[in-house]
Amino acid sequence: MKKIELNGLDATVYHEQLENGLSIYLVPYQDKNNYFITYATRFGSNDTIFKEKDKKKETVVPDGIAHFLEHKVFAQEDGSDPFAFYSKTGTGVNASTSFDNTQYVCYGNKNLLENLDYLLSFVDVPYFTDENVEKEKGIIKEEIKMYDDIPEWVLELELRKSLYHSLPIRVDIAGDVKSIDKIEKEDLYTCYQNFYQPKNMFLIVAGKMDVEEVLEVIKKREENRVNQKEVPKKKKYDEKDEVVSKEKKLKMKVELPKIGYAIKVNTKKLSIKDNFMIDTYLNMLLTLGFGMSSKFREEARREQLMSAFYFQKEAAEHFRSLVIMAESEHPEKFLERLKDEFNHLELKEEDFERMKKVWIASEVQMIDNVETTVDNLYDDILHYGKVFQNKLELIRKMDFATLQIMIEEIDFNQSSAVVISPVEEKKENEKNGKK
Amino acid sequence: MEYRKKDFGSYHLHMIKSDRFKSLMVRVIFRTQAKKELITIRNFLGSMLVLSTKNYKTRRDLVIKLQDLYALDIKTTNERIGAYHHMNVYMTMLNEKYTESGMLDQSLDLLQEIIFHPNVENSSFDQTSFDIVKKNIELNIKSIKEDSNHYAMIRTLEEMARNNEAYGDHGYGYLEDLEKITPKTLYQYYQEMLKNNYIDIYVVGSFDFLEMEKLIHDKFAFYTFKTNPIPAYITSTPAKKVNIIKEEENNKQSKLCIGCKLVNLTSYQIKYPLTLYNIILGGGSDSKLFLEVREKNSLAYTVRSILNKTDNVLLITTGIAKENYKKTVKIVKEQLKAMEEGNISDDEIEKAKRLYITALDDINDSMSKIISSYYMMELLGTDDLEVKRKKITQVTKEEIMDIAKNVKIDTIFFLEGVKSDEED
Repeated sequence: MKKIELNGLDATVYHEQLENGLSIYLVPYQDKNNYFITYATRFGSNDTIFKEKDKKKETVVPDGIAHFLEHKVFAQEDGSDPFAFYSKTGTGVNASTSFDNTQYVCYGNKNLLENLDYLLSFVDVPYFTDENVEKEKGIIKEEIKMYDDIPEWVLELELRKSLYHSLPIRVDIAGDVKSIDKIEKEDLYTCYQNFYQPKNMFLIVAGKMDVEEVLEVIKKREENRVNQKEVPKKKKYDEKDEVVSKEKKLKMKVELPKIGYAIKVNTKKLSIKDNFMIDTYLNMLLTLGFGMSSKFREEARREQLMSAFYFQKEAAEHFRSLVIMAESEHPEKFLERLKDEFNHLELKEEDFERMKKVWIASEVQMIDNVETTVDNLYDDILHYGKVFQNKLELIRKMDFATLQIMIEEIDFNQSSAVVISPVEEKKENEKNGKK
Repeated sequence: MEYRKKDFGSYHLHMIKSDRFKSLMVRVIFRTQAKKELITIRNFLGSMLVLSTKNYKTRRDLVIKLQDLYALDIKTTNERIGAYHHMNVYMTMLNEKYTESGMLDQSLDLLQEIIFHPNVENSSFDQTSFDIVKKNIELNIKSIKEDSNHYAMIRTLEEMARNNEAYGDHGYGYLEDLEKITPKTLYQYYQEMLKNNYIDIYVVGSFDFLEMEKLIHDKFAFYTFKTNPIPAYITSTPAKKVNIIKEEENNKQSKLCIGCKLVNLTSYQIKYPLTLYNIILGGGSDSKLFLEVREKNSLAYTVRSILNKTDNVLLITTGIAKENYKKTVKIVKEQLKAMEEGNISDDEIEKAKRLYITALDDINDSMSKIISSYYMMELLGTDDLEVKRKKITQVTKEEIMDIAKNVKIDTIFFLEGVKSDEED
């Protein structure tokens, strides 16, 4: 096992890659009772078109299949139920699907070895039948409808559609009611057999543990698992630098207009080439420009231009979107101010230096929690392909000039805005209010 | 872990020393009897205190100061626990080992500034800060309906509180109360809170007892007058006939919320058998409701029961298609009946106990849970972790069935989604 000391954080990551390609990361803690485990595959909602080596044509599966598959991985041939298994020790179990990955997690403070072993066993053996696939459709449709009623979710979805012409990130992770109906058990097996193979997966365990013992459990379960085939090549999409639409308006049951605004950045046009540094500098740009201590926030607060406000960065292949979400009674005015701010970013070196200190402090705080530790490692492994030994040093070494060059290189006019405004209330509803 | 409590006359200091964390947490609690008219003004005050202070006149100035202290985090929250309203001021800081020496002192100074030196001029809060907070609260109140699931629960509780029980008042605040607040009345209320609320300060983390005691004592000088304590638990009478309320909303999904009242439960029943009752009925992904409503009948994605012990209230909530209303209500009723008839396996009871014990064992990994656990012992007279562990294992099936007899459906609230599935 390779030992990776995380400098300045008093933590060590043990890494081992099995011969079949499965990557294992263990983070032992002396002073905790609890643990957090994630078992993941590099297969997500984006991957609906791929080329299998033994097939002539590309395989196309319905939208939302990765998420559907995630639900059905819980089904077991002997009729047992992972939820029931874990509740025997009060352990939590869950799963989530994203654009480029699916993960199965379990967390608790009891029976680490058995719970880990069971996680591997239930994810490793698929069991799909016509009946259990059909039954899941009702549940997933309710899940989709639940999200369709959440304005913030709709806003994010519409924003992605406005930004990207062809990248599959523009499709909802869960698909829609119609695409779900098309899913059959054969589709699930196809995706499972291609993407749930050891060389396409990785495992992270953080918490109180004996590293050797944990590794032994994993090896016993995983060492003899063979890769059935090559992992298919995922379809490559051409994507323009330009956005699809500059502005879009829709109506929903909201009290206050909700605004989504995003800048589309083609990272190939930037002089920084390292993905981690690109993302880190972009985060710095957003934090200094629009974070709690930014001038923009203070002025917007004083002018009462907005209430809720947050920002995030989203990746789609070599594109990044810099996203602002807000609520405002004056969406037009707010958007005007926001665009103006992006085009005239005036960042200060002293704020930049202070923010580095803040980030370093947060890294220390995050390592103190097993779940955030797993989350951070997960992100690094998935998107940068490694564990960072010297993250604090990388932050310390960031320099202001690099950030300024980056700002020069970004075309802030490549932006999309989406505004959701309230629908007129129907008066009859009031009458039906009470019976 | 070592716990020490100090009586400073006007307030109690609770120090919990634990070397497991890289951070240190302080929670200052202001407690008073819950009243509807206090909700809005306390929300207002909580936001004002962390927006600006005497020496940091804008939120930006204050945030920069917090960042300078190595991302010091200070926030306020408001919550009701039974008959009491709580305003909490939380501070979380990194241990000096990871920053520099003197940070504990400086961080506590900033906490002290936030609590004792608000942005006030001539006995009146700063108008600019006031206007910002007022607008935010107004918008927050107006957006209650946006979260339909939460709205359904709020409406159910409103309907259930026929005698103005405190649980009928939601925590967002009320526009009519907001209109009455001025920078002057807010300052008056601030002074009243400092003078008349029960105050506790909790500290958890790695520190020296004597040093911490001195620091807190010197920096936090409260002078309070205490009123007589009131019972923390709320009880109420269930409706003779189940109260059925329907509303419509422009949603694709419909929300169903079933409100139950818990009648005549003893303190022991509330602490132990009731907890297990709730876990078995709808507490987890392995509960009766989850299995029946979701797994067997594919009616919903989420379904659960939520227990509020101090209110003697239990809510069952789910999101379904509107045409499945009757079917879902029927299944929920059947499960309540199954609990009452003792259709509960030993396995279910054992698993519920394990879940509870795992949650207990989780407490010591979280600073905020440690504080909460000690505070509940003070406020509600709950048992300590060891006693809890022992007592929960001894709960019998009969005791859980006894609970079921005292769970009465009071209100069924249905928020019918009238938008079609295809619409966008």
